[in-house]
Amino acid sequence: MAFSSPHITATAVEATSFMDLSRKYHVTGVPKTIVNDNIEILGALPEQQFVEAALQPAGQ
Amino acid sequence: MGLLSESDTQVLRQHLSAIETPVTLLLFTQTFGGSEGGPIAKQVLDEVASLNDKISVVEKNFVLDTEDRTKYGVEREPAIVVLRDGEDTRMRFLGAPTGYEFVPLVESILLAGTGNAELEPATVKMLEGVTSPTEIKVFSTPT
Repeated sequence: MAFSSPHITATAVEATSFMDLSRKYHVTGVPKTIVNDNIEILGALPEQQFVEAALQPAGQ
Repeated sequence: MGLLSESDTQVLRQHLSAIETPVTLLLFTQTFGGSEGGPIAKQVLDEVASLNDKISVVEKNFVLDTEDRTKYGVEREPAIVVLRDGEDTRMRFLGAPTGYEFVPLVESILLAGTGNAELEPATVKMLEGVTSPTEIKVFSTPT
């Protein structure tokens, strides 16, 4: 998604090495996705569902 | 001793042969008092880069290279920024890319080097509608 949109940055975070970030975003299971600090997506979703969840208006 | 087995190396080299555009992996680490992930990240990237001439690793000092940190928004280390022909792909990795983090790293290198995102048409359409800065973080663990 980041590669295909100039407005999106995507960071893969190794949760155990950055416990402060994991705590901040309440990461209790992985994968967990955070978009603009206000959308949470738990688990791995099919592409279409993931994109819809990640780009919902609340995150923009 | 390498982190990758002989058979993994062969498979990986074959996958990476699809790369047409130079890929640069910017690795931000802290030499003194840095995280233990730094040296591991360096070893992983060096091994991957050794498999294809179009992949290079450029090390950045997390403490001293503040201009690059700002440019790429790097706030922790080790951090990896993937560049395609010197241009930011906006794909980043925080922490050593081992275990389950290794495949996404390889995929991002392939994406940067081939330009083929293989997204569904509906996804491409939705991405065209994104006009404001969007920061996606995906947390995972190596095991």
